[in-house]
Amino acid sequence: MRSTTKAILLCGSALLSVALLSGTAMAQDVTFVMPARDVGAPSYNPIKGTRLNAATTLIYDRMVIQDADQSFHGQLATSWETTSDGMSWTFKLKPNVKFHDDEPFNAETIVWWVPKFKGTENAFMTDAIEKVEVIDPLTVKFVMKNPDPNLLFNMASSFMGIPSPKAFDAMGDRFGVSAAVGTGPFKLESFAVGQQTVLVRNDAYNSASKLSTNQGPAKLKKITLREIPDDSTAFLELKTGGVDMLLSVPTDFLPRLSAERATKVVTLPGTEVYYMPMNTSVEPFTDIKVREATAFAINQKEILASLFGGVGAEANTFLIGGLAEAKVDPKFRIAYDPARSRKVLDDAGWALGPDGVRAKGGVKLQVKLWTQNGTEFKRITEVVQAQLKAVGIGADITVFDAATITAQYRKRTEHQLAVRVYSWANADILDWFFSGKRLGHPNHAMWNDPASEALNEKAMKGSRNWDERVTNFRAYHENLLSQFVFAPIYQPVQNFAYADARLSVPATIRGTRLQSQTVVDIEKK
Amino acid sequence: MLTFVIKRLASLVPVFLVVSMIIFMIIHLVPGDPIDSIVQIGSTPEQKAELTAKYGLDKPLIVQYGIWLAKLATGDLGEAIILRQPVSTLIAQNLPHSLILGTLALVFSTIVGIAAGAVAAIWKDGFVDRAVMGIILLGSTVPSFWLGLLMILLFAVQLGWFPVSGARSWSALVLPVLTIGFGGVALVARVTRVAMIDIARRDFVMMLHAKGVPAWRIQLQHILRHALLPVVTILSLRIGWILGGAVTIEYVFARPGLGSLLITSLNQRDYPVVQGCLLMLAIAVMLGTLIGDIVQAAMDPRVRERMS
Repeated sequence: MRSTTKAILLCGSALLSVALLSGTAMAQDVTFVMPARDVGAPSYNPIKGTRLNAATTLIYDRMVIQDADQSFHGQLATSWETTSDGMSWTFKLKPNVKFHDDEPFNAETIVWWVPKFKGTENAFMTDAIEKVEVIDPLTVKFVMKNPDPNLLFNMASSFMGIPSPKAFDAMGDRFGVSAAVGTGPFKLESFAVGQQTVLVRNDAYNSASKLSTNQGPAKLKKITLREIPDDSTAFLELKTGGVDMLLSVPTDFLPRLSAERATKVVTLPGTEVYYMPMNTSVEPFTDIKVREATAFAINQKEILASLFGGVGAEANTFLIGGLAEAKVDPKFRIAYDPARSRKVLDDAGWALGPDGVRAKGGVKLQVKLWTQNGTEFKRITEVVQAQLKAVGIGADITVFDAATITAQYRKRTEHQLAVRVYSWANADILDWFFSGKRLGHPNHAMWNDPASEALNEKAMKGSRNWDERVTNFRAYHENLLSQFVFAPIYQPVQNFAYADARLSVPATIRGTRLQSQTVVDIEKK
Repeated sequence: MLTFVIKRLASLVPVFLVVSMIIFMIIHLVPGDPIDSIVQIGSTPEQKAELTAKYGLDKPLIVQYGIWLAKLATGDLGEAIILRQPVSTLIAQNLPHSLILGTLALVFSTIVGIAAGAVAAIWKDGFVDRAVMGIILLGSTVPSFWLGLLMILLFAVQLGWFPVSGARSWSALVLPVLTIGFGGVALVARVTRVAMIDIARRDFVMMLHAKGVPAWRIQLQHILRHALLPVVTILSLRIGWILGGAVTIEYVFARPGLGSLLITSLNQRDYPVVQGCLLMLAIAVMLGTLIGDIVQAAMDPRVRERMS
């Protein structure tokens, strides 16, 4: 064969190979839509940021991560142990891990990292750590100021993604905005706030947790995460093939998505609870009998079935069902019991009037019921209004936007009932919403009872280890349930939707959200 | 002419001061607090108070306004509380997207509006007039938010001609431009129609007819030309609308821009960003009015004489 022919054939083969390879590469490029709540997150700085989006855990690994059942698993830490008094924690670190800028990850990284939280809005997460000691290059010891059994939960937060010390110090306030350097499975290629984030695969990735099947680099080569604030627009993008996956789908979209043959929906236990705080500082909710009647008037089963098509779960306590602290004595659970509501009100002297609203001493049992704008809020509130009416409690609905309603709560005496939702997967949410230190907002119930405060203090600061913490928080939770300071309503699940023809997604989502432990296993078909 | 422009510019200074004060007061008097968006679950009331003080939100409102105005005088729009970037940077990143969208929508509404108005005027009181004005009226009364979704359903979902959302290609501009543009067509068409009908009654038009000038030439070269004066005035007043008209449409089509930035920041009560965005919109309206006056003065010496 002549040399020129050979050269032509070789070049042709090379070009064909490049074309095929690039074709494969293109095939592994996908577009996801971030959850609407993540739209506008301003940076990927986990230490100083106050809002982070879904791409954060793809850029940064954490020492510890959680599975959907709230259990803890090592990511950059291989194992850990704590002393019986809770005053020190020792973490073994994964070897041979490097940041995207080729800097090594080791014990010195942790010594640099923990103090960086001081003076930031996230400082409370490391407040209990006195200092970090290096035992050996892959072992660190946290010496604690006080026991913090919640340390692992904090370590699993997105805000605990570990950045490259060299890049972080060099870039100052620009870190997380123009560049973000971690050890995660993807590197940040570009980021435009409110528009999109483009990530490219970290080919050197070797620190996947045991929750991932794929222990090497991610299968996807490039992920574009778009920010689309309107759920309808995001849904239509998936339907028309403009995007491959929605990282959050409102429950009321599920019937439409189920009708689409090309899309598949996967769910994950939720971290949200809808509930109705009662302002215990104003009439008539200063009376525990009225609170009890109100709490038992809410038909959780009906709301779950009629508004959400059975997707999700009834809420019968304040916490998400996956938490150990939610497993309270059954006698404290608040579940629909209209007969009990009516009896309690009758016994308390609230007599049913001709208009179906009760009255006592010439005062009608007519209350204010606040809610926020948003379809789900309005629908739930309207059903709650009807359910209250069924036991003789009249309720007038007022709708506010999220920022305005918060300002109204701060006035402390303006509100009576409100339909609210929170998203949190830890029992310390009880302290956030019911501590006497935060009356008005976020303690919308205006609950400030000495017995409750003592139980809260014990749960927050008097627990030396996880089991003690669970016991203490369960006691505090039961106390709050017994005082009927709120009515639990509904626990949504997290819904994700993807184009079945284009993506292969693991049947089981590992983690409390769709995070790196699952994304490394996602493949484009 | 120069004296006229200088006088008009000088008259904008007090307007700007009043507008800046109204913008500042309105956003601060609306209930809500940006600090609520940045405090983390678990932080203490003391930490929240520290943050409030850090951003100067604990000072009296009038003092906060004074500080903002003093910075504004040096060209500093402040730092975003939530987005943690200079407001000027955020506006610089988003303004071009809104300008492109708004300008194209203005061009669309101008061309279609003048054409529709001219057609309606030429065949006034007939079927064509009623049909054209009816369609335009319908288009202008449909809420743009809803019209945008209808456009998406028809042209993106059913026909697949354009992308549903985003700003990643020029084709993604078509549906938002049409959605915003339709809102402006009605006004331009109505003004064009009324002006052309009015001009058509003038003596010089009758003289042109008497001289045997073809009717189409009279309509296009003489009547339409004279009728454009009020249309130009209306268009210059709508320069502010170039930016303001896109606010909800950017949200529906998930496009970057001043509107998206304003809505996101408003929801979080990120005061400096909201103030910056509203100020940009106000400046656009003021500049539009100024340009309108200048164009009118340039086209009509009587206006120049009256205002100088």
